Amino acid sequence: MSEPLAIETVDLRKRFEGIEALRGLNLGVPRGSIFGFLGRNGAGKTTTIKLLLGMARPTAGQARVFGLSADDATASVSIRARTGFVDENKALYDYMTVDEIIRFTARFYPGWRRDLEKRYLQSFGLPLHQKTTTLSLGVRSKLSLLLALCRGAELLVLDEPTSGLDPAASEEVLQTIVTHVSTENLTVFFSSHHLAHVDQIADHIAIIDAGRTLVAGALDDLRGQYRRVQLVFNAEAPDIAFRTPGVVRVRRQGRVLTALSNNGGDALIEEAMRFGPVSAELLPVTLKEIFLESVAVED
Amino acid sequence: MLWHKAWLETRGRFLAGLALSLIVGFGVIYDFRATERLLPIVRNMDPSALDTSGPLGAAIKEGLAAQQSFRGFVWWQWYRQNLTYLVVIFGALLGAGGLLAKSESATLFTLSLPVSRSRLIGTRAFVGLAELLVLAIVPSLWVALLSPSIGQSYSVVDVLAHGLCMFVVGSVFFSLAALLSNEYADVWRPVLIACVIAAAIGMLEYVPEIGRFGIFHVMNGERYYRSAALPWIGLLLNGGIAVALLRTAAVNLARRDF
Repeated sequence: MSEPLAIETVDLRKRFEGIEALRGLNLGVPRGSIFGFLGRNGAGKTTTIKLLLGMARPTAGQARVFGLSADDATASVSIRARTGFVDENKALYDYMTVDEIIRFTARFYPGWRRDLEKRYLQSFGLPLHQKTTTLSLGVRSKLSLLLALCRGAELLVLDEPTSGLDPAASEEVLQTIVTHVSTENLTVFFSSHHLAHVDQIADHIAIIDAGRTLVAGALDDLRGQYRRVQLVFNAEAPDIAFRTPGVVRVRRQGRVLTALSNNGGDALIEEAMRFGPVSAELLPVTLKEIFLESVAVED
Repeated sequence: MLWHKAWLETRGRFLAGLALSLIVGFGVIYDFRATERLLPIVRNMDPSALDTSGPLGAAIKEGLAAQQSFRGFVWWQWYRQNLTYLVVIFGALLGAGGLLAKSESATLFTLSLPVSRSRLIGTRAFVGLAELLVLAIVPSLWVALLSPSIGQSYSVVDVLAHGLCMFVVGSVFFSLAALLSNEYADVWRPVLIACVIAAAIGMLEYVPEIGRFGIFHVMNGERYYRSAALPWIGLLLNGGIAVALLRTAAVNLARRDF
């Protein structure tokens, strides 16, 4: 039996004024996961989020959240009733105070969590009677997070939640998300181009570029699949065309040849040994390397 | 909830409109005394001295005739001029901006709430139109209330009848501005375009053949003033136009990508 998905997109396409923002995006976000949605600026992350929340409509393909079609206006209301959202700009009503916007938002959610509201108000130190327009980006981010977390949602959709924040504020936001997820049964889908943040909290990822999914899966599985083989030769490294499946990229620099595989490294190293390197090493790959290699391959 | 949000967004424009209308209403009342003093001079004028063959002369003659009584003065000065201008301008101002205008920075936050777009625009329209109704009636009630202070009286029934005409036609400019707000990023262009259209219609209505069917004749309640009968057909037509414009705005909004 397949794992139930909180979010699923199938061949999702979106064209804006002649520009193809999404070109057949396929995603599956398992329920209960913390899903990092990675991509360069303009890769299609925000567009995907807008399609999932009914803020824009797909040109083709399907987007489903909780099994409901995000394209259907009625279903979209039900999706949003079960979803907390923080947008990239953390834009809130500038004519409301912190207290007013909390009261305003709470009225839309019967399952509003007063206990969490109190807790986060205290821990974030939010000024209740201050207009949101006077808040710094860091404080506004925390308020946006409070408004998303207290909805009693099953799904949190966070578009660049740490964008524009200093390291301390970013860390606080990330820790809040992790702590919240550890105590509540929910799925987190967050976009970012901060690889370290994704690496820190995500258990599943997808890397997209130019509107297509390049890599997707459980982060631990991906780390197991991706391996870097480093070979050192006595003389100039030979130009090797590896036959082992899964070789993503090969680089030569002087006597050193490195090859990245997304299919483990054992078979690759076995093949590499036939070319007589002085040394051969199988190295783990970081998320940053996976991202950069995936995006570079696309280029 | 949403109505409170709509109120917070529009209250500045609404209160400014209300305050200005009350001030103008106050001015109109006390202007009647000056007009009263001038009336005997006008009555003693040689009728042949006034050329009423052209549209301007005809309008002056009509104005002089109307302002012989306090009721006529209020209709001519207040409903036919000042309140018409105010309701057109503030109707457009209240309709502009819209809940989901491109200028609203927190649009994505609004759209993340579990409410349909039709409910969003419906609530915004309801609150804006309620404010417009207040603008169409309350300043006139103020005029009726002040009338005894200059030894005159003005009927509350007249206030309500003219208020209905003002509101229905004002809602056309409200809806036009709401529709234009789907296209423009700022508040001012929809208001400016709506006002330019209103001015163009107003000028066209100086042509007698067109004027009889013009919306400003419905708006100022001329038929009610002259014959105590409400211009039902005009009201229904204008109400229909307002509904159609709002409906178009709602459909455009439902289709729009953010």
